[in-house]
Amino acid sequence: MAGFADLNLPAGPDKKGLQSLLEAAARLGYSAVALNHVIDFKEKKQEIVKPASPSELFPSLPIVQGTSKRIKVLNRLTLIVSDPSHCNLLRSTSANIRLYDIIAVFPKTEKLFHIACTTLDVDLVCINVTEKLPFYFRRPPVNVAIDRGIYFELLYTPAIKDSTMRRYTISNAISLMQICKGKNIVMSSAAERPLELRGPYDVANLGLLFGMSESEAKAAVSTNCRATLLHGETRKSACGVVYTVKKPRKVEEEETTLPACKKAKTQA
Amino acid sequence: MRMSVPLRRLRQAPRHLLVCEKSHARHARSRHAAHVRDHAYNCRVSFLIPECGTLPEVLKSTIADVGEYYLLRNLSLHELVTHEFIDTFVKKGSCHALTYNTKIDQDNTAALLPTGKLILSVDKDTYEELGLQGRPSQYSGKKVMRYIITIDLMDPSFHPDSKKHKRVLWALKEKKPLEFDFLLAWCNTGAEGSTLMSYFPKNQIQTLKPKITFSTLRDLQCPVLQSNELQGKPEESCSTEELFEWLGAVLNQVSFCYFDEPKLAHWLTLTVHGFADSPVSWRESEHGFHKGGENLYNFVVFRNLDYWLQMAVGTNDDCPP
Repeated sequence: MAGFADLNLPAGPDKKGLQSLLEAAARLGYSAVALNHVIDFKEKKQEIVKPASPSELFPSLPIVQGTSKRIKVLNRLTLIVSDPSHCNLLRSTSANIRLYDIIAVFPKTEKLFHIACTTLDVDLVCINVTEKLPFYFRRPPVNVAIDRGIYFELLYTPAIKDSTMRRYTISNAISLMQICKGKNIVMSSAAERPLELRGPYDVANLGLLFGMSESEAKAAVSTNCRATLLHGETRKSACGVVYTVKKPRKVEEEETTLPACKKAKTQA
Repeated sequence: MRMSVPLRRLRQAPRHLLVCEKSHARHARSRHAAHVRDHAYNCRVSFLIPECGTLPEVLKSTIADVGEYYLLRNLSLHELVTHEFIDTFVKKGSCHALTYNTKIDQDNTAALLPTGKLILSVDKDTYEELGLQGRPSQYSGKKVMRYIITIDLMDPSFHPDSKKHKRVLWALKEKKPLEFDFLLAWCNTGAEGSTLMSYFPKNQIQTLKPKITFSTLRDLQCPVLQSNELQGKPEESCSTEELFEWLGAVLNQVSFCYFDEPKLAHWLTLTVHGFADSPVSWRESEHGFHKGGENLYNFVVFRNLDYWLQMAVGTNDDCPP
């Protein structure tokens, strides 16, 4: 199994609040968290800003409880799309998008859910847990998403806050489970305060309520999160196999150098 | 209706196993010593003696004699594979080592058994980078995320010039250096030589003694047990499962109400808990952590030297021997 990860901690402007969230997550045993920057297209024109690197935001990262390693902090971008034109942002080669480790999309209609599962280049598809689903899940797009390595995200903090949302969370999650059979699920918090965070084993137990098996539920907080991160990393490489690294040179111009083995081939 | 599927799973607890056997301490085929020897890594030993106000002297002196153990910080794994270490500690006496502050279901873990086998439990990325041969973990499922590598340090073909040794040293030193904090214990068989304290630099190693606590529980009602009745007799004596549950509650200081009247007891229990994050439980059976990492055994010894041995394991564990 991989280390536990919480892929949705809302990144607000409050640095102190974020620091206390990080410390709570580290104390609970999470080895990695992702700070979520949300873009909602319904509001007035929003731009994708460059995410601050974790080392700038947090001078010292807390140590994960029970180990001697520090917690890993990643950047994530979530796009709330309610219109097909909003997806154009993903297709554009905006430089700032490449700075995020994980890209997620929150589709609001059935057509957009289909587009997100089949064509969009994202890592996570968020499932609405705060209101009744406006559409039913269909097997074909969900299966295509599973084949492409896209994961479905379920949040658990709304269920803690309100009992009506608790009902919607459970019913939406169960209807998703009936289609995807527990595969490719990631559970995360979207916690704004440290009190709303729950330990990874508790979240895995919540997965049992949704209908996952013991191993699927534990994977939803560990192995599947790791797979999502790797999926995000492949976006920065060619076919997921070749990485390019900018090597600083004494000459003014910047060049990208290919890994040694590829160079040898072209020389031969 | 489809809704029943998730509810059915809720009624099932994660898999756990309790094995009970009874025997006599002086019996020729009694395996009590073998059981204790085979369970290499133990983090807690508890005694429960009913009807006993003060601790007997014999027990007090035995407990006081318990040896020390060592905490080594930032030890590179390849140091345990060097022939100097093997000849000084592994071959002379029994050396136990276990990584400290590592979780068996999340991180890489290493353990050195007294038999000379080094067990590495590594995650998928580390295994692929390390380049040593291992087998997938039994509790991994379809997508293997954990691998177990076993290196036999006492193997005659593991001498300093062999290819095997060179490969292992290269993998652990250069290919993927691994560093851990270790808990070490060494039982010298009497031969002269350096000790662990003198082998490792002073700032790295720390000597520790186990913490001992005594507590007297008053007004605790103890179950009646009959040594030849493992299943218990209704109204007369308790079964092993009931005793196990009661013992768990007592050792965790849970307040409960099991019996109506106090009854005299003629037995005592010795419970030994294994580490939750150890890669092995008994001998070399793989141990994993699903929602709990229990691997413990409990001796119930009666006045006539009959004993019951209960061995309990959690979800990701083999059946105890």
